[in-house]
Amino acid sequence: MRTRLAIGAAGVLLGLYGAFLFLSRQDPGQWLEVVLWLGAGAVAHDLVLSAILVGVCLAGTRLLPRPWRAPSLVALVVWGSLTVVAVPVLARGGARADNPTLLDRPYVATWWALSAIVVVAVALAGFVRSRRARGGE
Amino acid sequence: MKAPLAPPTPEQFTSRLRSPAVAARVGVWLGVSFGICFVTGLVSHYAQLPTPPIPFPTSPSWGYRVTQGLHVTSGVAAIPLLLVKLWSVLPKFFERLPLRDHRRLLLAVLERGSIGVLVAAAIFQLATGLLNAAQWYPWTTFSFRTTHFAIAWVAIGALVVHVAVKLPIIRDVLTSDIEASDHDRATATTPGALSRRGLVRTTFAAAGVAVLATAGGTVPWLRKVSVFATRTGEAPGGVPINKSARAAGVEESAMSGDWRLEVLVDGVVAASLAYDDLRAMPQHTADLPIACVEGWSAQGSWSGVRLADLLGAAGAPADRDVTVTSLQESGPYRVTTLPAGFAADPRTLLALDLSGDRLALDHGYPCRLIAPNRPGVLQTKWVTRLEVGT
Repeated sequence: MRTRLAIGAAGVLLGLYGAFLFLSRQDPGQWLEVVLWLGAGAVAHDLVLSAILVGVCLAGTRLLPRPWRAPSLVALVVWGSLTVVAVPVLARGGARADNPTLLDRPYVATWWALSAIVVVAVALAGFVRSRRARGGE
Repeated sequence: MKAPLAPPTPEQFTSRLRSPAVAARVGVWLGVSFGICFVTGLVSHYAQLPTPPIPFPTSPSWGYRVTQGLHVTSGVAAIPLLLVKLWSVLPKFFERLPLRDHRRLLLAVLERGSIGVLVAAAIFQLATGLLNAAQWYPWTTFSFRTTHFAIAWVAIGALVVHVAVKLPIIRDVLTSDIEASDHDRATATTPGALSRRGLVRTTFAAAGVAVLATAGGTVPWLRKVSVFATRTGEAPGGVPINKSARAAGVEESAMSGDWRLEVLVDGVVAASLAYDDLRAMPQHTADLPIACVEGWSAQGSWSGVRLADLLGAAGAPADRDVTVTSLQESGPYRVTTLPAGFAADPRTLLALDLSGDRLALDHGYPCRLIAPNRPGVLQTKWVTRLEVGT
């Protein structure tokens, strides 16, 4: 218990230092937008993305035959993460006409191609597993 | 009957995959990623101090490149880890507070509060870092650098508090089999599409794929597989450009024939050199990386005048910091301080060429600073003045 209290106290101090930096190094006018961004990120995940995932998982268990579920879940985790990571390059919000060395790839076409590969891979794996499951009966 | 849109209760989540056994295993690696991000972020901020209490080292020349490559790759790896970690503990979000028992209520509110801070700060750090790598700043008032730095301390503090709170469960589930159900919710009994081990492995695979898809901006041999890297390196001399001459507003001043490099010693102009004067001095070549915390880096073969030679010729003392001023009209990096150790290093150049060709205007023509183990933003382009104090 003493160890945990010591670790917890250290964490509180680190966090308070962050709060001090946040409050002392910028104007009060900038605080509000940071707080909005902090809240928006949590809401976007906890309410929006989580709800979508719960829905997708429910739909998956209702609609997909059992042999298709594992490949679909693997694909969802890998493809979904990759898509989240790629949002800034897909949206090209930072692109600049005067700097062709930045965001210099056909990201959207690549994303579609990757998505198609994922669909084909899931279909193949699901098909193979279905046949194997039937063969095992 | 429940209203169809009532919030769910934790009991309604029945998958065996949403369990502390999964959360702790993914959480360990998430903690490692955040730890690497935090330390490498501190390194970058320290390297950018104009006058650090302990001088930042000039060797190894690739030190900053490696630490900042790690910063961005561990941040990217943390994204799938965080998503699965939060998925695995989602039922907790819907737990009712113990309203009758004041002591337990206080503890529960404190713990929920610390988790709220942790989740908000963690998502904020990953999202702003990812956007920064793509040079996209959709916010209007706050500074990325200042805020990302402050919230990093908040995130790491909340993470440490979270570990302290959960330590007994973490210890228990990590020393038990992953399929053990001692700490599971009573209703979490439905087998998932994957085994728990399968889900954890899939999560690590997702983190690996995300890293492979982006790390090519800083790891040259990954360029071909890094389909979502923000920069491919197809640029003059193989070195990407962060700020163009047009964006810096230097197109005219850099190209005009009357550009001169002034060297001030003690506030007095000790030398005023034209481009041809620099060309006439002894030329040296140094293979040095240019590395940015925005997640890209590239090796360049730079040639030009050794800074120490130039300062020596102007009669400046060798052990002084140097204030470097760029032609660019505004921006936080228009004037920077080059610590004495960097100014004295024989590899520090005022580069005139990159890969044997005259420096491109976007790379800092007529001349730019290039020093070993130095943050990219401080490798000043379009240099027009060097000031040495006594």
